[in-house]
Amino acid sequence: MLKSKTFLKKTRAGGVMKIVREHYLRDDIGCGAPGCAACGGAHEGPVLEPQPLDPASSLCPQPHYLLPDTNVLLHQIDVLEDPAIRNVIVLQTVLQEVRNRSAPVYKRIRDVTNNQEKHFYTFTNEHHRETYVEQEQGENANDRNDRAIRVAAKWYNEHLKKMSAENQLQVIFITNDRKNKEKAIEEGIPAFTCEEYVKSLTANPELIDRLACLSEEGNEIESGKIIFSEHLPLSKLQQGIKSGTYLQGTFRASRENYLEATVWVHGDTEENKEIILQGLKNLNRAIHEDIVAVELLPKNQWVAPSSVVLHDEGQNEDDVEKEEERARILKTAVNEKMLKPTGRVVGIIKRNWRPYCGMLSKSDIKESRRHLFTPADKRIPRIRIETRQASTLEGRRIIVAVDGWPRNSRYPNGHFVKNLGEVGDKETETEVLLLEHDVPHQPFSQAVLSFLPKMPWSITEQDMKNREDLRHLCVCSVDPPGCTDIDDALHCRELENGNLEVGVHIADVSHFIRPGNALDQESARRGTTVYLCEKRIDMVPELLSSNLCSLRCNVDRLAFSCIWEMNRKAEILKTRFTKSAINSKASLTYAEAQMRIDSAAMNDDITTSLRRLNKLAKILKKRRIEKGALTLSSPEVRFHMDSETHDPIDLQTKELRETNSMVEEFMLLANISVAKKIHEEFSEHALLRKHPAPPPSNYEILIKAAKSKNLEIKTDTAKSLADSLDRADSPSFPYLNTLLRILATRCMMQAVYFCSGMDNDFHHYGLASPIYTHFTSPIRRYADIIVHRLLAVAIRADCTYPELTDKHKLADLCKNLNFRHKMAQYAQRASVAFHTQLFFKSKGIVSEEAYILFVRKNAIVVLIPKYGLEGTVFFEEKDKPKPRLFYDDEIPSLKIEDTVFHIFDKVKVKIMLDSSNLQHQKIRMSLVEPQIPGISIPTDASNMDINEPERKKKKIEK
Amino acid sequence: MASVALSEAEKVYIVHGVQEDLRVDGRGCDDYRCVEVETDVVSNTSGSARVKMGHTDILVGVKAEMGTPKLEKPNEGYLEFFVDCSANATPEFEGRGGDDLGTEIANTLYRIFNNKSSVDLKSLCVSPREHCWILYVDVLLLECGGNLFDAISIAVKAALFNTRIPRVRVLEDEEGSKDIELSDDPYDCIRLSVENVPCIVTLCKIGYRHVVDATLQEEACSLASLLVSVTSKGVVTCMRKVGKGSLDPESVFEMMETGKRVGKVLHTSLQSILHKEESLGPKRQKVGFLG
Repeated sequence: MLKSKTFLKKTRAGGVMKIVREHYLRDDIGCGAPGCAACGGAHEGPVLEPQPLDPASSLCPQPHYLLPDTNVLLHQIDVLEDPAIRNVIVLQTVLQEVRNRSAPVYKRIRDVTNNQEKHFYTFTNEHHRETYVEQEQGENANDRNDRAIRVAAKWYNEHLKKMSAENQLQVIFITNDRKNKEKAIEEGIPAFTCEEYVKSLTANPELIDRLACLSEEGNEIESGKIIFSEHLPLSKLQQGIKSGTYLQGTFRASRENYLEATVWVHGDTEENKEIILQGLKNLNRAIHEDIVAVELLPKNQWVAPSSVVLHDEGQNEDDVEKEEERARILKTAVNEKMLKPTGRVVGIIKRNWRPYCGMLSKSDIKESRRHLFTPADKRIPRIRIETRQASTLEGRRIIVAVDGWPRNSRYPNGHFVKNLGEVGDKETETEVLLLEHDVPHQPFSQAVLSFLPKMPWSITEQDMKNREDLRHLCVCSVDPPGCTDIDDALHCRELENGNLEVGVHIADVSHFIRPGNALDQESARRGTTVYLCEKRIDMVPELLSSNLCSLRCNVDRLAFSCIWEMNRKAEILKTRFTKSAINSKASLTYAEAQMRIDSAAMNDDITTSLRRLNKLAKILKKRRIEKGALTLSSPEVRFHMDSETHDPIDLQTKELRETNSMVEEFMLLANISVAKKIHEEFSEHALLRKHPAPPPSNYEILIKAAKSKNLEIKTDTAKSLADSLDRADSPSFPYLNTLLRILATRCMMQAVYFCSGMDNDFHHYGLASPIYTHFTSPIRRYADIIVHRLLAVAIRADCTYPELTDKHKLADLCKNLNFRHKMAQYAQRASVAFHTQLFFKSKGIVSEEAYILFVRKNAIVVLIPKYGLEGTVFFEEKDKPKPRLFYDDEIPSLKIEDTVFHIFDKVKVKIMLDSSNLQHQKIRMSLVEPQIPGISIPTDASNMDINEPERKKKKIEK
Repeated sequence: MASVALSEAEKVYIVHGVQEDLRVDGRGCDDYRCVEVETDVVSNTSGSARVKMGHTDILVGVKAEMGTPKLEKPNEGYLEFFVDCSANATPEFEGRGGDDLGTEIANTLYRIFNNKSSVDLKSLCVSPREHCWILYVDVLLLECGGNLFDAISIAVKAALFNTRIPRVRVLEDEEGSKDIELSDDPYDCIRLSVENVPCIVTLCKIGYRHVVDATLQEEACSLASLLVSVTSKGVVTCMRKVGKGSLDPESVFEMMETGKRVGKVLHTSLQSILHKEESLGPKRQKVGFLG
């Protein structure tokens, strides 16, 4: 049966369009209940259970299915995801509405419906002949949908009655809309609100915590005092943005100061790109990553970004006055130049809430059900949740979702979602940091695994088509110890004409991952392999990463080779790319390779090949540095793990050998050669990597810091920076150079992937190369897979596909890859930080020498060279008298009492694990030397718990 | 225009018949052929109608679009006419063959609607000088069987009667910038009053007499005809002579009188049939193009 659906739509240009769609009604759509004779099993996918026994509800003891409406699905998805809730009918009407209103919830409900065990059934009521309803006169779209849901619920009840009279199967309609519920009961449909139903599940009391608190009654009890100004409605915001009175941007809360945030204004306007917001009222309930509309304040109210470090620690909910006082601290006298555009949030355009990891701060009042939740991410405000299991949740990492932020509440309201495990537990903490950095880490799905090659695998005739057999070459790989995903191998041999042939062989991952299949899509989503201290989250399934693609020794492997003919001066005479088959003769570690090169006794093929490579690499490196490539430094730490407990037992900075740089040089060379080739072939859609030159203002801190040590750093070009860094040496202070290089690293921009057709600046600043890409690690980076595909097409070894030559698709891909890379980096750092904590937990308290890296208004940031550890020493503590602080922004220096701290000053700090302080265990550093009475800690560690008793006392006073 | 070739004898037969008030198909001189009208035949228009009159087959679609009012009439909307002569109607229309006829018909339609009373153009204005509704009236000739003008004017009137324009509200903020808001109820719309929309009555001078609703054969026998557009109250809004022959004032006067008389009857029967169709509601079985 054919119907047509008509609706009106407003176009962007302001016109009105009438859209007519054909709509087919069918009579062969099954109800989803197995054993239903009328439908005859005409349904696919997971179906309902014939006899739903659980959950036992006190409201309706007989077996029943649930049928939730749109709002229940949208807001109570956490409840529905619970394993206790099963046998739910999801109507198509509901699903469509959810899809329009919230993409994340839609994705979650799709996942649930796909789960066999949950017995969720999607009923396509809109196409069912008996449940289709047409919009009536005087009825708006919402009313129609509500009616459609009721009609479907009614149909179900009648339909099930027909099926078996003795069974008494019922469909219960769940809605939070009072009117809708009344109407349903009038029509004879059993209906409850979500709260009523969940509370009736006596066997699962913990479900109540997961209910999102949306009930208006709950808010009435709260103090009626309104803290925040109202958010303007969307239509007004859009008008304001159109007329330019408001600016639209992404809200970014400050990590260091909870009363400050910046808004990155969308669009191309040069001025007012970044707007500062200060104070709770101006932040107006915006949460990190929200899209907001801001209004600029008049110029006389503009402020400068404060350098105060401020953490929200207030336990009491509504001490707003105190907040204002705090806000005043921020507004110190600053010179005119420092003032930045300042604004306030007038409305939220789009919330970007996600479930947050963190911990519960239990309320001081006993038996209180309301508690504050402190997220692990400092940029997220604390969230108020209601739970009865506070005591069990204490000391555990939990996930909480935000429901809303009323105007009269200091904190947003939320509800408990999931208990991850105990704090400090390695598994839990790893899970937390993966979740917090949005790293996809679920095991690979069956669909993905189905595209893996069947084992046992060997190279076939077919594989050798378009492929060169290089198995006779003496290829070897050099990697860090314990590496199982070997993606590069090298060889070097002498040619008859006296020149050298150098080959870089990269695992041919694109041979196994074919474009567009589930495996490819999943890899593209993950973007990169994430290396944590004791765990690796693979981008491709293990069979590929550690076996078929890994260029292990003495097995035949497929590779993509880049072969140069070079003379002895390392000048490239010829470059050639080919797909190949290789058989590595040795998998060496850096240390082993170094040993072979150094020991005069060894003269086998592999060793001579390594020696030649090493020689060439040195020339290549020299030439690169002459061109202005930067050698930067960042403290990198490595843990020695206990093989049994996997606890870190020692911490040391990474050691660099000649062989490290040897491999690196050839990888750089291969990347550059490939970049040139693919850009030559595909000028519009080559995937390249660029490193933009930082704006001069970025270097200010470096120049100032060097000046304080009477050194001059030139930053006009990369070359002059490299040269002046090389010159910057002080005989009395050997570590200075490293410190300057660390600072220089912080001045740099992020290197990013981009599509050549979308940009015209290709320069790689750090490597001083006009063009660059990533080709050498396809096992762990998706960008390399795309580059492999491009190169394969360029040398006609593989065929192309439409997405590969679509520059907009490629640009989207680059965006995701850049995001994943950034997140992977953060996750790595977080993992190191956590292991550092574990290390110091076992080590106790240590005093170490440190250098000041940055000076802040009320703190100094120090670096401990021995551990490569960075930390902040605070000088203002809550319970102590405030010391006299004087901060000079120009030098920069901080004067405390009578001691002045400059950047790069050497200090001695005490490091300990601070677990006294609530949620976050953190490495706490306090000053030992120079001694400042009342601030530094005496050298002897006898009264280490100095903070502990005081804090306890404080609590009692409250 | 589409025409048929007739022999001299056939012409004489027709002319003599008309003389006796007896036409080839049995009608009298003032009789219309049987007219079939159906509205709401094209679902993605704002209003549509199809009219069949003997072998003449016309489809009219009205599309309402948001636009800006004309400078000289800042608080009125307006109508645009476009006539497409399908090559299905007659092979002569192939290529650009139908363009001249199309423009001629469109111009005639502009002329008969070019007065204040025919359609309430003010009701089409959303906000003066800024937004108004433009009604694009698209006429499609599916088959030509004589008397195109009358059939088209009937179809236009029926389509305008059927037209539903979505109701919009103008939101104005403090700065004075305006935005239009659309109601999400598809039934929430405005209707046009077609009370004063005129119909064309074409009177063909055949021999000493004149006939209404001439067939192609009859048109071939006529040297001159008069188009009279008449409202339901019998008011003549426009008049035009077509054909290469001439008319003496006395017969023009006679033809006008007949036009008024026949026009009034035409309007009443059209009006009653449209209301009857409307009263059937959405449950009406549609005939469409397959019937």
